[in-house]
Amino acid sequence: MKQLKVKLTKDQIQKLGLSGMGFIVLVYVYFSFFLGPLNTSRDSTLRQISDIQTKIAGSKNEMAKTANLEKQAIAATTRFAALKALSPEGAPIAWFPPRIRTFFSGQEIDKATARMENSAPFKEKDLENWMRYSWVIDLPQADFSTLGKAVAALENSEPLLSINRINIKALPEDPQFQQIVLNASTVMVKR
Amino acid sequence: MALHLNLLHEEILQQRQRQRDPLKIGMMVLGALGSVMLAYYMWNAYKTLEIRNRLGQAQHDWAKVEPKVTAAQKRSAELNSIISTTKVLDGMIDNRFFWAPFLEKLSKCVALNAQLTGIDGTIQEDGKVTAAIDGLAAGREPRAAAEELRQLLLEQLGQSYTGVKVEFKSLEDLDTIVNISGTSMAMARFTIGATFATGTAKPTPAPAAARTRTREPQS
Repeated sequence: MKQLKVKLTKDQIQKLGLSGMGFIVLVYVYFSFFLGPLNTSRDSTLRQISDIQTKIAGSKNEMAKTANLEKQAIAATTRFAALKALSPEGAPIAWFPPRIRTFFSGQEIDKATARMENSAPFKEKDLENWMRYSWVIDLPQADFSTLGKAVAALENSEPLLSINRINIKALPEDPQFQQIVLNASTVMVKR
Repeated sequence: MALHLNLLHEEILQQRQRQRDPLKIGMMVLGALGSVMLAYYMWNAYKTLEIRNRLGQAQHDWAKVEPKVTAAQKRSAELNSIISTTKVLDGMIDNRFFWAPFLEKLSKCVALNAQLTGIDGTIQEDGKVTAAIDGLAAGREPRAAAEELRQLLLEQLGQSYTGVKVEFKSLEDLDTIVNISGTSMAMARFTIGATFATGTAKPTPAPAAARTRTREPQS
């Protein structure tokens, strides 16, 4: 077998070493300062594109859901608007007592007065925009039948009002008539 | 055979050495490799630019969609809030205790020989209703008349409410004699305590008229 022996001079070995170093430097510089950052930038861009595409796909889904929810919530929004409309603009102390007086006048019970006892916000998160007001409604004179009809009408016409206490006393001078005190609480929109 | 003499062998050797110069060959290899690498880099750079264009397009699309999505999300949150609030409010409305049916039932229990002088009804924290009913009963046996009212009340309330308890808190005879339809009758004063659970009775348009009447005490 024939062996090929290349004899390199010292000068040639030095030059070969120099070329090798040049090669290493070239590869290092290429990957560290050119191809590496480029690849990093490309990967980052691809990730951003992927994120945006996911968001766009999600947004279509979100909009479809909202449209669907809008259809389903028609009854709830109508009901909510109706309940909200029960609380007119302004401080309740300004409009609630006259409304009660007018209501009971319409029920043939005169001189009804309502005074506010206290008000407090709800603890429930769903009712953070609503307040509970406690009222004392005095009806100085009414007969039992008229009172019953009036209470029924009040309970039916004011869904957000609930009577917590009812106190009826016969008038000593005229037992046909009674003096009534109602402790009621109402739920109203926070103004 | 002719004899050839190479008089330029040194020059030829030098030329061969120049051609085999490792630095020169290395530089050529590096140059070639560099060219390939540059071409590859350019290709990658072109691809990256293309991807950046795609990113720009995607960002443009997102910029068009984003306000709609934000509005949709806001609306969705609002609708969910409305739905849950309405549900809570409806729950409160449905769980109210209606006093009118109670007053109606009470009025049905009061016989001609009885009169109610006071009613104090309260909804307790636990949702139970307690009512203290004060009144007067007249008759040959006024205590029996009061008991009749208590039993009737128990029966009436039991038809609509659960956990009904109706019992006397007090029942005492009075010295007063009353004249009812020309007959003198003894009187008794009573206080009845009624307790029951709420949430079963429905509102009614109006209770029936109470059978109350004035009584003239006879001394």
